[in-house]
Amino acid sequence: MVKDYKVGDMAEKIKVLKETATELKRVSGGIQAVDRNVDRILASIKMLEINISDLVDIGIEHREG
Amino acid sequence: MEKYWNPVLETLPREQLQQLQLKKFQNILKWSYEHSPFYRSLYKDAGLEPGDIRTLDDIRKVPKTEKSMLREAQGKEPFPYGSILSVPIEQVTEYRQTSGTTGQPVYHPETWQDWEWSAESWAYALYAQGYRDYDRVFLPFGYSVNIAFWAGHYAAEKIGCEVVPGGVLNTEARILKMKEIKATAFMATPTYILGMADVAKKKLGIDLPKDLNIKKITSAGEPGACIPATKKRMEEMWGAKVYDQVGATEIGHWGYECQAQAGLHVLEAFHLVEIEDVETGASITEPGKRGSMVITTFDRFAHPCVRFDSKDIVEWSPIERCECGRTFRLLKGGVVGRADDITKVKGVLLAPTAIEEVVRDIPELGDEYEVVVIKKGDIDDITLKVEISPAFKHDASTVEQKLAQQLRLKTGLRYSLEFHDYGTLPRYDVKAKRFKDLRAKE
Repeated sequence: MVKDYKVGDMAEKIKVLKETATELKRVSGGIQAVDRNVDRILASIKMLEINISDLVDIGIEHREG
Repeated sequence: MEKYWNPVLETLPREQLQQLQLKKFQNILKWSYEHSPFYRSLYKDAGLEPGDIRTLDDIRKVPKTEKSMLREAQGKEPFPYGSILSVPIEQVTEYRQTSGTTGQPVYHPETWQDWEWSAESWAYALYAQGYRDYDRVFLPFGYSVNIAFWAGHYAAEKIGCEVVPGGVLNTEARILKMKEIKATAFMATPTYILGMADVAKKKLGIDLPKDLNIKKITSAGEPGACIPATKKRMEEMWGAKVYDQVGATEIGHWGYECQAQAGLHVLEAFHLVEIEDVETGASITEPGKRGSMVITTFDRFAHPCVRFDSKDIVEWSPIERCECGRTFRLLKGGVVGRADDITKVKGVLLAPTAIEEVVRDIPELGDEYEVVVIKKGDIDDITLKVEISPAFKHDASTVEQKLAQQLRLKTGLRYSLEFHDYGTLPRYDVKAKRFKDLRAKE
């Protein structure tokens, strides 16, 4: 069965995740237990960007596979 | 179960893949220029601005880097990574280093994000080799300062495998542990894959294909799985599929065999591989001609690797698209050699100059020496012949101790040492042949 991968939609969700994580760090008051875990979350989000969001930058919004 | 780790990226049509590579090259070039004093100086001296690179062809205008330049740069501040470091040192969370067998080790910093990148890149390979969440993966290597299989450990975890670290166990204990827990996969150098099989058979009386449950093996660290006869021997001894995998500390993991075993896929979403004619430097884009690999790593920011002359000899495969469906280009026969005389012994890169440096730093030894590498069974054996100066002949055991210690420290290898009377080793007028690699090569 052919799948339709909605790259653009996934990239939007990844963007929201990144904004939320960044905002959480901004309001953490410097709590290390928050900041350091957010750093790890952001590192994982970067992998999502490499896997998905960067494709939007070259004009791919969806792909069949 | 999904066939690909990332079906979108791994099957990207060539034109779009190249678009992505150009964009990522531009990003890492700009990052390096703006954040690394080493790269900024290199590019300014060449009169190059990041904005000058507009096409894939333009990339050849970017100056290459090589290991000696990395070594020189790391002598600068901040300690110990030097002027290539492109993030605040407080962001570094992992220390790695090259083996140092070609000279001074190159220290390699990883931020948490870069370390995620390493695991991610390995995940592409392991998934292509059939690793899944039902696998129990054994890691029989010494978890230490060298990168070795560290990223393989984290990638297997990322895929969802159950990972069993076999760090400080000896070979017999590792084999017995794999048997006990019914491990389904493991990762090791080809020398060790064969060495373990030898120990299992001769010392433990174990019939590996019958008594163990290993289905797949990832072979990395030295050529072996890309040499057909060695691959065949490993697969027969273990009753398992053996997959080749390549990478380097400075570059990261960049190539892997998939289950089709049709060559080495370049992980092109993470790297740009260029092949250059060793003599003329001309670009080789078609199959049928070997050349030296120049490689750029994308999205790894702490210690960027831009147009690094790896000295690996490679060749594009004539297979346009692998039967696995991945569009990442294939290299025929993996890494087939080195552009210089550096060779791998027991999985460690060894340069004859590193041995020479040790020998000639010990005043009790004569100038001449000879290195002979042979295969004893399936294990590399390295003999170093030296001459002891007559004045120190009475104290040979102290000299031997010192030599062994320095060799271990500077080259990471153990040697069989032979002491000869002064003046008895061959002398050369021109082109000395002090390094003799007698291992049969297919």
